[in-house]
This record gives sequence, C-alpha cells and structure tokens, in this order.
Amino acid sequence: MMRRSSLLAESLAIVCKELASELRQRVALSAIGLFAITTLIAVAYQIGPYSLAENDRPFLLSALLWIILFFASMAGLARVFVKEEDAHTAKTLRLAARPHAVLLGKLVFNLLLLLALEVVVVPLYCGLMGLRIEGVLGLVLVMLAGGATLSISATFVAALIARASGSNTLFPILALPLLLPLLVAAIAGTRAAVGSPELGAVLPALRAISSLGGVTMVTALLLFPVVWRD
Amino acid sequence: MTKDALKAVLPWVLGLWLAGVTVAGLLWAPAAAGFHGDSFRIVFFHVPQAWVAVLAFCVNLVASIRYLRTRAPLDDARAAAAARLGMLFAILATVTGSIFAKLEWGMFWNWDPRETSIVILLLIYAAYFALRQAVVDEERRASLAAAFAIFAFVTMPFLIFVIPRVYSSLHPNLVEATQGAVRFKMDPGMRLVLFSALAGFTGLFAWLYSFEVRLARVLAARHSREEA
Repeated sequence: MMRRSSLLAESLAIVCKELASELRQRVALSAIGLFAITTLIAVAYQIGPYSLAENDRPFLLSALLWIILFFASMAGLARVFVKEEDAHTAKTLRLAARPHAVLLGKLVFNLLLLLALEVVVVPLYCGLMGLRIEGVLGLVLVMLAGGATLSISATFVAALIARASGSNTLFPILALPLLLPLLVAAIAGTRAAVGSPELGAVLPALRAISSLGGVTMVTALLLFPVVWRD
Repeated sequence: MTKDALKAVLPWVLGLWLAGVTVAGLLWAPAAAGFHGDSFRIVFFHVPQAWVAVLAFCVNLVASIRYLRTRAPLDDARAAAAARLGMLFAILATVTGSIFAKLEWGMFWNWDPRETSIVILLLIYAAYFALRQAVVDEERRASLAAAFAIFAFVTMPFLIFVIPRVYSSLHPNLVEATQGAVRFKMDPGMRLVLFSALAGFTGLFAWLYSFEVRLARVLAARHSREEA
C-alpha cells in the first residue's frame, strides 16, 4: 500500500514538474499548437467547407482531422524526454524517481497536452470546414480514447529516441508505423460519430482503440525500465 | 550420416524442393475458379513470402526477449538477422502482391487493408533499422532495438489480423471459418503445392538465418581477437 501511494505521488510530482516547466517555457505547447493551427489554416484554405462532395465529406474530413492531430503531436510530444537529455537532467531524474513513475508522469503530461490540443483544434476544425457532428458524445469518446492511446505510444517512443539520438529526428519515423493502426481506427470512429447520433456506431472503433491502448500500455510499463536505465 | 554431411546435403535438398514447388505451382497445380487466367499461381510464392515475413518478425521478437534476459551480443545479432530477412521477404511479398493486384483488380496498388498491413510491417522494419543506425554504443543499440521490436510486435496483431478483417478487403481469403470450423477454400492439389511452398520457404528462411548467425559469430570472434 505504501509503495503504491509512493508511485502515485512520484508520478504526480513529475506531472507537476512537467506542467511547471511547460508553463514557464511553453515550447511543446507552442510547437504543437502552432503546427496544428498552421496545418488547419492550410487545409481550410485549400479545401474549405464547400469543395468536397457531400458523400465524401465524413470520411475525408475525419481523415484530415486525425492527420492534423497526429502530425501536430509529432511536433511536440517527444520533448518530454528529449529535453531531459538536452538539459542533462535525465540522470537526476533517474535517481529521484522510479522508472514507472517517470513513464506515468510524462505520459499523463503528454495526454494533457494532447487533450488541450483537441479541445482547441476540433471545434475550430468543425467550424472552418463546416463539419456537422451527429454524435457529439461518440466523438468525445473517440477523441479521449485516441488521445490516450496516441500519448502512450508517443511517450514510449519519445523515451527511445531520447536515449538513441537525443533529438526529435527519429520520432515520426519510429512512431508512424506504430500509430497507423490507431489512426485507421480513430478515423473510422470519427467518421461514425460524424454520421450517426447512436453511440453504438462508434463502439467497434472504440473497442479497437481501447484494446490497442491497453496492450501498448502494459508493454510500455514492462519495457520502460530497460529503455530508461540502459 | 554425420552432422557435417547432413549440413552439406540439406541446402541441395532445399534447392530441389523449391525447384519442385516452382514447377508444380506453375505447371501442375489445378486451375482455381474465380481468377483471371493463371494469376492465382502467384499464391504459391506470395503467401509463403508473407508467412516468412511474419515468421521473421516472431523470430526477431524471441531473439529480442532473449537479448534482454541474457544480454548476449549474439542474441542481438540474431534479432537483427531475422529483421533483415523479414524485410527482404516483406518486400518480395509486397511486389508479388502488387503483380497479383494488377492482374486481378487492374491496379498495382489499391490501399486494400492487406496491402496497407504489409506496408506498415515494412515501415516497422525500416524504423527498427533507423533506430539501430542512430545508436553508436553497441549495448545501448541492442537494448533499445530489442525494446522497440517487442513494442512494435504487440501492434502487429492489429495490423495483420484485426484491420484486414474489420474493414472490407478485396484480398482473397484462403481459409474460411464458419461455426467454429476452419476450412480451406482450395482444391486438394493446390493445397498440397501451397503447403509444400510454405515448408520450402520456411526452410529457405532457416538456411539464410543460419548463414547470418554464423557470420555474426565469425565477426564477433574476429572482433574479440582484435581486441585481445
């Protein structure tokens, strides 16, 4: 019991450290936010609300939304670990907290970052592209599950590339093939939410996203000590 | 027969087996219904290549787990060898699949879920090698590559089994599962050639893999001699 609360306390301390550091410097927030807004403007300018055929709109607009979210997250999620290597603080962090607390803390921070991105980008995207959502609750669930699964894989890959090269260059190369199954399911879920108010319509996608998230979470917890300590 | 004599004979047996499979696949196997001309014959090469690409991924996983337990450099070399061969067979499966797609569906590439799955498998292999190339320290390279290989493996069931079955696919299915029973949707002659090809390609993978591992052993021995 003592150990469990201690892990939770360490994880929360790392989340707070990350939040304080990010609010001071705002590097990841700016990178992700500006990337998303720039891409969104480019997409809205080129495609807009009228140039797509009505039948194609749910699929194409869902795919474009996830492409914006995915590449925006690639611009900033790796920073949680890369900055520790840049600032030479990784060794101190290894002494201060157990590996699982580091992973969980950084993962929660990345998840908060992604949710903040989704809260801003999704309504803006719907407004600019004229996308009407029939199943708002379904969309919220897909965004939550998709964001959580995306942040699990992205955080683990961020730890890998920070230990491998200490730079962001490898991040999309390693993350893209691991996240493509998630993107396929998330796009399908978003399309279902756009077209149907029934929660049942998004359930197959939600099941796929959640199972992928569960499997990657367990694997990340098992492997992270190797990545972090070696 | 001694072990050395058996080792010398096996490659010849494998060569003859694969030659026999090729002749049987192209000339002897009965025609399959529902395909354009002889396009179905590519199945005797495409399916075994795809199978070996996935088998190599599994061998890579086992060697990676072994490396994390033993920390023996040879296990890392085994993992890398399996990945190299897996990538080669994944490329071959992609090429033969594209030829089949052109003959059957009129386009080399259709972004069918099965085609997408093999491309993602190729991307995973490419990412694995990009990661290996990025790390200079041998021990760290081995442990990071092993961690990535294991992490990537857990997403594979979603690529190979879930996505192609959830989303509609043009890709023909060789097996049919109805009411708990699994049935092969092919003529017994075709099935014989296909299983022979699967065995032959698995043997080819084992032979090439043993080559790679022996080469890694020789290089490691030379490296330790140079250091001594």
